[in-house]
Amino acid sequence: MKRTNSALKSYTWLTGLFFLLIILLPANHLTMQQYKLSAAQYHTLLFLVELPLVAVWFAAFYGYAKLEQYAAAISDTPEGPAFKQLAIGCKWLAWGLPVPSLLALLLGAIANNHAGFYSATVIIGNYVGLLFPLVAFSFISESGRELIQRAKLNFTAATAKNIQFVFVVLGVIYCYLIFRHLDLHSIGASNNQYFLPVWLLVISLIIPYLYAWFIGLLAAYDITLIARQTKGIFYQQALRLLAGGLALVIATLIAVQYIRSVLPRSGHLSVSATFILVYLIYAATAAGFILMAAGAKRLKKIEEV
Amino acid sequence: MATASNMLLYDKVVRVTHVYLGPAADRFIARQVQNHLHKSPQELSQSDLLKLIDWIRVGVSLITDDSEIIEEYASQLLKLARAPGKS
Repeated sequence: MKRTNSALKSYTWLTGLFFLLIILLPANHLTMQQYKLSAAQYHTLLFLVELPLVAVWFAAFYGYAKLEQYAAAISDTPEGPAFKQLAIGCKWLAWGLPVPSLLALLLGAIANNHAGFYSATVIIGNYVGLLFPLVAFSFISESGRELIQRAKLNFTAATAKNIQFVFVVLGVIYCYLIFRHLDLHSIGASNNQYFLPVWLLVISLIIPYLYAWFIGLLAAYDITLIARQTKGIFYQQALRLLAGGLALVIATLIAVQYIRSVLPRSGHLSVSATFILVYLIYAATAAGFILMAAGAKRLKKIEEV
Repeated sequence: MATASNMLLYDKVVRVTHVYLGPAADRFIARQVQNHLHKSPQELSQSDLLKLIDWIRVGVSLITDDSEIIEEYASQLLKLARAPGKS
């Protein structure tokens, strides 16, 4: 219960700060001109646009809090350490939703008054956007591997080939979509939407993103496999909920990161088809976190009765 | 004092429970024995089984509403209770 309170307290603080920044930070001139808005209308629009995201954050914080509770309940058991790592990974995923948004608001406000800072806003936003999934998927992947080894499971050669094929296709399309924005005549040119030289973009963003997604997708598969193969009718039902939710969270967050890195951040509010698509994907992320929470609650119940 | 036959009975109960609660089976049964029979798991005896099954039924009904599976689980445990003497 303490863990839920702590997570929800963090959520309340983050949300409060976020809404405060929305109200207090100066309106973006470009957006105001584009949509012919007054400053008050701009703040209201921004508030309404961000409201669904804040609901997704709630689902995320609630989901990781429930998983933390379950991990704490089984801390002394053989599976305990693996679930603890899983909970830490999910915590990073949850915090990876509000922190980049808060930072984007702050940096966007600075860039609004100091045009020269715009490139720094985009660069910092991209790296912060990468950091959270990279750390989160590393923890989740470790946890998945540990659980797989404990259960003495492994995937077949055919499954491994399928995973590799899906990943190669996703990776190649991703590189193609990114390279379309770049001036490939010079490897050092940084006149692109990422404001980075091509070589640095490849080393510090493209490769880490592909790595993070690969281990993220593998972790999702590992955990789904464990849920399918594990013994115990009631235990399996609960674990399937948790694993299904987690797989949905990982897949949707990867989809959002994919879209966001292929279409770099503009630094201002822009209501477009991509924007709506990202919101729809985020709705699925929230559903994933709720499923995860339901699974963790049922697993914890098994440990309590 | 724990004996080999008593341990065997506890293991049999855990084995049946494993089908329903998987890796949580051992912990679940140990909790039922300790909290409701006020014994250590090793001290579980044939005469405790019916009472234990009742508590298990109550516990599992808090986890699931599926009465069919609860009954199936209880009947598997009842087979152990009806098994003659040394288990």
